[in-house]
Amino acid sequence: MAITTAPTASTDRLTTIWETSPGLYGILASVDHKTIGKRYLVTAFVFFLLGGLEAAVMRWQLTRPDTHLLAPEVYNQLFTMHGVTMIFLFASPILSGFSNYLWPLMIGARDMAFPRVNALSYWTFLMSGIFLYSSVVIGQAPDGGWFAYVPMTEQAYSPGLNMDFYALGMIFLAISTTIGAINFVVTFFKLRAPGMSVNRVPIILWGTLSASIMIVFAAPALTASCILLYFDRRFGMHFFDAANGGHPLLWQHLFWMFGHPWVYIVVLPAIGLASDMIPTFARRPLAGYTFVALSTITTAILGFGVWVHHMFATGLPQLATTFFSAASMMITIPSGVAILAWIATLWYGRPVLKTPLLFMAGFIVLFVIGGLNGVMTAPVPFDWQLTDSYFIVAHIHYVLVGINVFPVFGAFYYWLPKMTGHMLSERLGRWVFALMFVGGNLAFFPMHIAGMLGMPRRIYTYQAGLGWDTVNLITTVGAYVFAVGVGLFLVDFFRSLRHGPLAGNNPWDGSTLEWSVSSPPPSYNFAVLPTVRSRYPLWEDRLGEAPRGGGAAVPVLDDGRETFGTSALDSDPEEVLRMPDDSLWPVLVSLALLILFYGLLLSLWWMAIVGVTGVMVLMVGWFWPSRIPTRETALSPREP
Amino acid sequence: MKIDRYEKIWMWASGAMLCAFFATMAGAAIGSSIGPPSHVQTIDPQKVLSDPLFHQQGTWVDRGGRVHATIVATAFAWLPAQLTLPAATPVTFHMTSIDVLHGFEIVRTNAQATLIPGYVSQFTTQFAPGDYMIVCNEYCGVGHHIMAAKMAAIPRSQWRPTMAAPDVPPAHENGHDSH
Repeated sequence: MAITTAPTASTDRLTTIWETSPGLYGILASVDHKTIGKRYLVTAFVFFLLGGLEAAVMRWQLTRPDTHLLAPEVYNQLFTMHGVTMIFLFASPILSGFSNYLWPLMIGARDMAFPRVNALSYWTFLMSGIFLYSSVVIGQAPDGGWFAYVPMTEQAYSPGLNMDFYALGMIFLAISTTIGAINFVVTFFKLRAPGMSVNRVPIILWGTLSASIMIVFAAPALTASCILLYFDRRFGMHFFDAANGGHPLLWQHLFWMFGHPWVYIVVLPAIGLASDMIPTFARRPLAGYTFVALSTITTAILGFGVWVHHMFATGLPQLATTFFSAASMMITIPSGVAILAWIATLWYGRPVLKTPLLFMAGFIVLFVIGGLNGVMTAPVPFDWQLTDSYFIVAHIHYVLVGINVFPVFGAFYYWLPKMTGHMLSERLGRWVFALMFVGGNLAFFPMHIAGMLGMPRRIYTYQAGLGWDTVNLITTVGAYVFAVGVGLFLVDFFRSLRHGPLAGNNPWDGSTLEWSVSSPPPSYNFAVLPTVRSRYPLWEDRLGEAPRGGGAAVPVLDDGRETFGTSALDSDPEEVLRMPDDSLWPVLVSLALLILFYGLLLSLWWMAIVGVTGVMVLMVGWFWPSRIPTRETALSPREP
Repeated sequence: MKIDRYEKIWMWASGAMLCAFFATMAGAAIGSSIGPPSHVQTIDPQKVLSDPLFHQQGTWVDRGGRVHATIVATAFAWLPAQLTLPAATPVTFHMTSIDVLHGFEIVRTNAQATLIPGYVSQFTTQFAPGDYMIVCNEYCGVGHHIMAAKMAAIPRSQWRPTMAAPDVPPAHENGHDSH
C-alpha cells in the first residue's frame, strides 16, 4: 500500500467532520461503525454471561441424580433461554461486532456502506434482546426449547405468554440480522479501497460475506414459521395442528431450513477471524488463500442442503434421508480444506506462541472433534441410536464453543488492543486459555458417553444407577472450570483498560490495514484512504510482492463525510460516496418496532397500530429527500 | 423516476424468476399435491384410544406369525410401561402420540422414531436377548425426564403375546415402512 500522510490541518478537519457529537444526542445518534461494533461486542458479551449463568444453574441441577433444586418448569425455561441466548443473542451478534468494527478498517474505508442501517441493526438487536429477556422478568420465559417444536408450543399445550415471546422475539431479531447482512454484502462489493480486488481481502470478509448471504436466504424461513406459530396461537389457526389438518412436521422443516444454515452463519465469520489471525502468528501468508475463501462460499451453498439431518427419526422417506445424509458428509469437505490450510500455514511458518495463537490451536482441536462427532451422526443408522441424546449436546457444544467461542476469545486478545489501545496480559491470557480449554473438554467430552448410555437431552433430572452419575459430575466440574476462565478474562479486560501497556499501531506486526492506523483508530479511520497492491499491505516490503511507493496521488476526501465507491471485483475507484451524518432515525425506528411487538404480544391492537404507524412515519422522515448540500453549506455549521 | 437500463433488466428478470418460482410451488402443491414428505399412515390424534389398532397396547402375533408391538405415547408415559419381546425375532412397532411430539428410543439400539400426533410411526427391527431401557428423547414438557419404560428381550420359546391380534385392515399389518 502507499502510505501517505495528510497535513495536520486536514486531520483536524476530518476529526470535526467524522467525530460523533458528545452527550446524549451523540450516544443515540452515532452511526460510527467502530462505536456500533463495540456496542455489538459489549451487548453480545453481556448476553454470553447471561447464557452462561443459565448454564451454570442447569449444571448445578444436573450434577447429582434426583436433584430437585429447581422446579422442572424453571429448568425448561432455563435451557430454552440458554439456547436462544447463546445462539441468537451471542454467537451471531458478537461476530457482527467484530465485522462491524474491523471491516472498514481492513478494507480501507471510512464506514460501512449504510451507516444508519448499521445503527438500526444494532438498536433492533438490543431491543429484541430486551424484549426476549423481559419474559424472564415476568417469569414467563420461553420454555419450548430454542427449536420450539409444535405441537408442544401451540396454545393448547403452552397457554402462557412464554412462546409468544419466542415467536415475536425471533421475528424482531430477524429484522436486525437481515438488514445487518444486507449492509455487509453491499459494503463488501462497493467500499473496498482502490486496488483491493476480491482476491486481496482478509478472509474475515469472505466469512462474513458468505454468512450474510446465508442470512438473507435463511432468516425468512424462521420469520415465516414464527408468523405461522403466532397465528396458530393467537388466532386459532391450524398450520401445525394435526387434528385439524395441519402439519406438525412443517414447523420442523421450516425451522431447520433456517436453523442449519444458522450454524454456518455463526461459524463462517469465526473461521474468517481465525484465518486472519493465524498468518500473523505463523509469520507467513495464509496457505491456500483461494481455497479457504472458496470453502466459505461452498459451505454457504451446501449449508442449505443438510437440514433434514435434524429429522432422520421422523420417518421421512428413505430417498430423502439418504440424500441429506450424503450432503451432511459432503459439507465436511470445505471445512477440512480450511483446517488443512491453517495447519499448513503453521507447519511452514515460524509460529510465535502468543495467547491468540493458543486460542487458535484450541479452536483447531475442538473444530476437528466437533466435526468428527458431527459426521459420525450423518449416517442414518448411527443417528438413530443417538438422536436427541447427550451425544448431540456434546456435538453442538464442541461446534459452537470450538468454532465460535474460541476464535472470539482469540480475537479479543488480538483485536481488543486495537479497540482500547491497551494490551491484555499474556500471562493471564494463557490461564484464560488453559481454563477454558481444559474446562470445555472436561464439560463436553463426557456428554458423548452420557449420550451413548442413553441419557436424553433436555431432561430435568435422572435416576441414580443408570450409569449417568459420574459423567454428569465431571461435566459440571468442567463447566465451572470453563466459567472461571471466562471470569478471569473479564478481570484481565478491566485490568488492561487501566494498566495494560500501550498497544501502538501494530503490536502483533500484523499485515492488514487496520494495523496501519493508531489504536484506537481516529474517527475517520484513514486520513488518506489507502491504495492496496497486495493481500498483505503491511508486509509488502518483506514479501516483495509489490513495488513500494509511487502510485497515483489520492485525494484526501475531507469535504464532508466521504469515502470511495469502487468496482465490485477489481476495486477500481468509481465515485466518491457521500456518507450520512449522525441520525436519530435508527433508534426511533427500533423503539417504534419495540412498541409494535409489545402490542402484538399483549394483543393490545391499538398499541400495535401505534407501533406500525410510528415505523411508517419515521421511515418517511428518514427517507425524506434533504436538499443535497453543496460543499460549503454542508460544512459551514461545523467550521471553526 | 429514472432507472438505469441494466437495473431495469435485472428488476424484470428477478420479478420473472420470482413468478416462475411461485408458479412451480403452486403447481407442485396444488397440481401434483406434493406436501412436505411425511408418514403415509395418518390417524386422528383425538381418537387414538378408540382406534382399532391402538385402543389396546401390547404385543401380538398376526395371521402370518409375525410379531407386532403397539405403543402409544402420552405426556408423560409409555403405554404399555413394560414390554417383553422375543429375542432374535423381527418385531414390527406401531406407534403414535396422542398429544405432543415424543421420541421413542430403545437405548443402545437403533429402534428410534419421533412420534408425531396425527401420524403412525412404524418400523421393524430385532433385538439381542437382554434388558433394555425405553426413553423419550424428544422434549415433551415438564415431565419429559420421567417418561421411561422397560423392555426385555427373552428367548422366543418362552415368549407369549399380551393380546390378541387387533381387528385392523391388512394395510396396518403389512404396513408402509415409514423408515
